[in-house]
Amino acid sequence: MQSIGFAYAIEPVLRRLYTDPAEYESRLRLHMEYFNTQPYLASYILGAVIRMEEDRAMGRNAEGDVSALKAALMAPLGALGDSFFWGALKPLAAVVAVALLMTGYWWAPLVFLVFYNVWHIGLRAGMLFWGYQSGGDAVALMTRHSLMKTAKRFKLITLTVLGGILGMVPVWRLEFQPMVAWSLLLTALFWLAITTALVAVVRRGGSPIQLMLGLAAFCLALAYAGVIE
Amino acid sequence: MPVLDTHLVLAVVGIALLGGLIGLDRTAAGQFMVSEPIVAGPLTGWLLGDPIAGIIIGVILELVWVLDMPIGAFVPADATISAVSATAIAALGSTGSAPLPVIGFSILLTAAMVPATMWADGLIRHWNSRLADAVATGAGPDTGRALARAHLSGLPVFFLKSFVLYLVFLPLGLAAVAVFYHLPEHVHRAMSLFVKFLPLVGVALVVHKLSMKTVDLFLLSGFVIAAMAGLVFHAPALIIVLLSAAGGWAGALYRERRS
Repeated sequence: MQSIGFAYAIEPVLRRLYTDPAEYESRLRLHMEYFNTQPYLASYILGAVIRMEEDRAMGRNAEGDVSALKAALMAPLGALGDSFFWGALKPLAAVVAVALLMTGYWWAPLVFLVFYNVWHIGLRAGMLFWGYQSGGDAVALMTRHSLMKTAKRFKLITLTVLGGILGMVPVWRLEFQPMVAWSLLLTALFWLAITTALVAVVRRGGSPIQLMLGLAAFCLALAYAGVIE
Repeated sequence: MPVLDTHLVLAVVGIALLGGLIGLDRTAAGQFMVSEPIVAGPLTGWLLGDPIAGIIIGVILELVWVLDMPIGAFVPADATISAVSATAIAALGSTGSAPLPVIGFSILLTAAMVPATMWADGLIRHWNSRLADAVATGAGPDTGRALARAHLSGLPVFFLKSFVLYLVFLPLGLAAVAVFYHLPEHVHRAMSLFVKFLPLVGVALVVHKLSMKTVDLFLLSGFVIAAMAGLVFHAPALIIVLLSAAGGWAGALYRERRS
């Protein structure tokens, strides 16, 4: 999956460390073995592997097994990175930007990009050095940064901002506002009730595509039944 | 409704080029999230002179697909192609700003595009794994150079995948929109309502992925904070969003202390 990318990233280091062409070739081929993890946290593994390769080339740790190190780190860091970046940071940044965009702040996409990339680039760059310094001690990494705890907080904040989006119906852009002439509070409550019903529907199964198609069919039925004018 | 002319052909090719470049951000290079619908949609709309269509489509598709995650071997939907295509189809298929029914219909068309994008992504990944095997097992005088060639070849391949899909989707979508204009008024009303409901579907999908409960306490707290701040104190939207986020943060800390 990401083996070529990993080997490409470490190739300049190997070229500098191993002047013997045969050894360089064999070390490079070793890094083309199966590798798959969360792409941002791969930099932590890269840093740790560079440290191990350096130690090996200097004769400090001739028995160091880079394959075992990579195999030991890629699954837990993959799960950690998926949960933090894809499952918590991205939804939070997106939902905040959606809330702002729905209420007329045209610069909301910039907020999304800045908020996401401050974490993304900061951690991606930092992980390379932390991996190198720690030599791949994942326990120390998790103790130091508690990404799982931060991910949980981000998920709860995302849920609260989603509730905030529904409570802000009266200040949504006109294109998003519901076509009802009720009081503002009643409209917001009605939209909250529909969303809750939709969550219950989603829990019964079905992909986003099926939901979209089902909703389109429902809207068509309402239009032909004369419910909407 | 515009007919097929040189301007339209150039616009389609231009969007295919732009979409191909933005699409590289998804997996092949960077992953700075420029390819997310909330950025790609408004950007496409702004370039085509219809930012509102881009905002509506970007908001909706972001909510719908934000938690469709590339975990393990799962190939997620290509939300970038959906957002750019839907925005381009709505903007190019309309004279002036795209009306709400056309925007709704353009979003509905993405439901047909998504399986095709997933299939194409699957093909690329299969090719990618074969390429890795070929470099790893191949004998040559300079493995480093072969590796660099194989690695960098991913860029044009991913670009071409998106570029070709845009060249297929955009003309088909524009033809479908041309037909849509002749459909009965009921269909247009239905598509307007579809757009109004879609953000709620997006919110429901995110809530479903983030919470085990159908009626989540944090969701309700955010609703109450926003309703009070907006309806009672008439606070601006920016303040309401910040208050909701702060409320969520305080609630998360409270829950941590209790557990």
